Amino acid sequence: MSTDSISGWLLDVYPGEDGLTVWLLGSDGRRQRFVQDFAAAVYAAGPAARLRDLGRWLQAQDAPVRLGRACRRDVFRGPLSVLAVEVLQPACLDGIFRRMVLAFPDLTYYDADISLPLRYAAAWDVFPLARCRLEVRDGRILDLAPLEAPWDLEPEPVPLRVLSLEPDCDPAHRPPRTLRVAFGRRCWSLPLEPVRPLLAGLRALLGRCDPDLILTAWGDTWLLPFLLQACRENGLRLPLNRETGPVVERRAHTYFSYGQIVSREAQVQLRGRWHLDRHNALLWDDYGLEGVLEMARVTRQPVQDAARLSPGTGISAMQFVTALQNGILIPWHKGQAEAPKTAAGLLRADMGGMVYQPTVGLHRDVAGIDFVSMYPGIMVHFNISPEVPQADGAGAHLRRAPGEPGIVPRTLAPLLHKRLQLKAALLTLPLHDCRRAAFQARASAAKWLLVTCFGYLGYKNARFGRIEAHEAVTAYGREALLRAKEAAEDLGYEVLHMYVDGLWVRRAGCQTPADFAALLAEITGRTGLPIALDGVYRWVVFLASRRDSRVPVANRYFGVFQDGSLKVRGIEARRRDTPAFIVETQLGLLEILARAPSAGQLEERLPEAEAFAGSQRRALRSGCVLPEKLLLAQKLSRELQAYASPSPAARAARQLQEAGKTVRPGQRVRFVFTRGRPGVRAWDLPGPLDARCLDLVRYGGLLERAVETVLAPIRLEVHGGGEGQTLGLLPLTYVLPVSG
Amino acid sequence: MGRTLSSATQLFLQEEAAFARFRRALRRADQLALDDLFASARQHLAAAQYAAHALPFEVFLLAMLLEEHKQVLRLRRQLDELLPGGR
Repeated sequence: MSTDSISGWLLDVYPGEDGLTVWLLGSDGRRQRFVQDFAAAVYAAGPAARLRDLGRWLQAQDAPVRLGRACRRDVFRGPLSVLAVEVLQPACLDGIFRRMVLAFPDLTYYDADISLPLRYAAAWDVFPLARCRLEVRDGRILDLAPLEAPWDLEPEPVPLRVLSLEPDCDPAHRPPRTLRVAFGRRCWSLPLEPVRPLLAGLRALLGRCDPDLILTAWGDTWLLPFLLQACRENGLRLPLNRETGPVVERRAHTYFSYGQIVSREAQVQLRGRWHLDRHNALLWDDYGLEGVLEMARVTRQPVQDAARLSPGTGISAMQFVTALQNGILIPWHKGQAEAPKTAAGLLRADMGGMVYQPTVGLHRDVAGIDFVSMYPGIMVHFNISPEVPQADGAGAHLRRAPGEPGIVPRTLAPLLHKRLQLKAALLTLPLHDCRRAAFQARASAAKWLLVTCFGYLGYKNARFGRIEAHEAVTAYGREALLRAKEAAEDLGYEVLHMYVDGLWVRRAGCQTPADFAALLAEITGRTGLPIALDGVYRWVVFLASRRDSRVPVANRYFGVFQDGSLKVRGIEARRRDTPAFIVETQLGLLEILARAPSAGQLEERLPEAEAFAGSQRRALRSGCVLPEKLLLAQKLSRELQAYASPSPAARAARQLQEAGKTVRPGQRVRFVFTRGRPGVRAWDLPGPLDARCLDLVRYGGLLERAVETVLAPIRLEVHGGGEGQTLGLLPLTYVLPVSG
Repeated sequence: MGRTLSSATQLFLQEEAAFARFRRALRRADQLALDDLFASARQHLAAAQYAAHALPFEVFLLAMLLEEHKQVLRLRRQLDELLPGGR
């Protein structure tokens, strides 16, 4: 049989009965399944005699393994002589390893729990949707060569076939009646009952369209489990997978992370094609399908995992690939603890980023400047990695740690470079360029990974995490920010606020980006880190605490850039638990104010804003606001019985529980405020909601608060008293009586 | 991940709480003045954090003093402007 050379895009890789199953979307449009031999290695370290025992034991087990001695590097312990156990049947890897650990619990294991797709990606330097060339014979892949890298800015578009399935309403809210189906430009609406014709229709569609991606709404939590159940009950088969065999079902679970309880929904994953649920894909609203595909490309995780796992898992996956490709061992259980410190040392090291208290009030012509990807930039630029020793006080001198780049900077450097290139390209691409959306999504995916990498550097369970490296990053960050402040003050700017990696500065007469160019150059010169202008604000308002107007809050502000665009942080409109109606009102007010060409003309806009607030108040009072727009969504932070005084979300969740619905900590519960007891009604309760029960007084209070957040500082500016605060002095809030 | 030591904000709130009995025994007008002093110290939490001082209340006292001195400077400037000849 002759060898064929085929090119195409890598769709899916997973263990099969005979090696690995690899799906390729060929350049000729054919979707082909191949099999490939693949050995996955686990390493064991320990006394030589015990390693010999392990070798003999494995041979006696008749396991499909190949044994050998190897020298690999443990980043914390240096070079190690290890026993390499290569499992020739990748599907057997987990079982063999479990038995090994039970029989030899005293040995140290490496590379044990790395997923097969990641091992494959590292071994062949490929990634999901990588364009590659395959040498195949008789359905087996003999050789494989990537034709592109995940760092290419504009990979060739992949001709994916996408089938969309969406029920006509949220199944948690009420039972759907029809299923909307879309493929290409065609749409169908299929009734969900009776179910046999539905299944027959879907089977025909799947056969005819043969999609690469089934994109659903509520597919993980409702649609696919419903279809699978219907198939079982009716004895029918639905070709959801591209090959025979069951789909992969994962159950919902809850876990605790970074002081918060997180709920992960159930998952249904397919073989040979992908299933993505828009409502169960992380950050879908932020970057959509293009961002999910980018996540998969750069982290090299399978697309169906990349969509559902956090960016932290993505960063870990990237580090694992770097380790696998560089002969660095990935510890199964990390054994490093925090090194002892003196009290004074701890006092100096255990600090986060620098967060200032802003000068409260409205300020004109303010430049917002940010260090570009500050923390990852510091890791790459100054070589901060768990295994790289840091000299005492290196942060204070912004000095690069000597030696080869560590595993963390080596992993991050290409990602950081790609993000900077994407951002630079976005600055030059015209607004109507059709590539903008994809570039934006890719830049956003890179941003989330880069944001997370800092947390993972200090996370005790991260395989390549170490708290000292994490602390070193913040020390460099504080030094860079203080040097930026000094540079600004030396050049005559007033520093209004500083927040970890950004500053807000102003100087009389400086209004255009060019006026701040010298400052940016000076800061880069003093720190070695790139800093960019976020924009020049026509005006920006830093807010005080709601509880005490004398106390500034670091991250509650809003402002309008010179191009009229808004920047809003920390106020009601940005909170996830604010009803849509309140968000609309607050953003509406801000948009009216943003039409003032300068802060001096805010006065002209204020009556229009007040009128808009009035009309929203009247709409609420007269019951013209749809209940959907008054929905609140809050997370349950614990089990229902653990609430001493139940929050509104807990009371709503109790109603759901009594109605027979499952409620888990970490879940978001939707509800409306109602009059009388218990004061709330869960949105997903069966039966209609009586709009007359809505607690309009309470909503009125929320509306008023949101309106005042925006309008109070503007009124102060227009009617006087605003600028006085910029001196950083406290207003005299009362008159001291003359004491006797 | 996570801090071992309390942040400057947490330390500040602890120190403020530690003076609750002192505040309670003050006259109302004095209570309000004390609240202003604490609010003024809060303006400098970032600097207090960076100072990493073993006795944080000393830093908070200095921060109160700093704000008081700024007030004195402002009042002196206003007085100078009001005095005949503008001194």
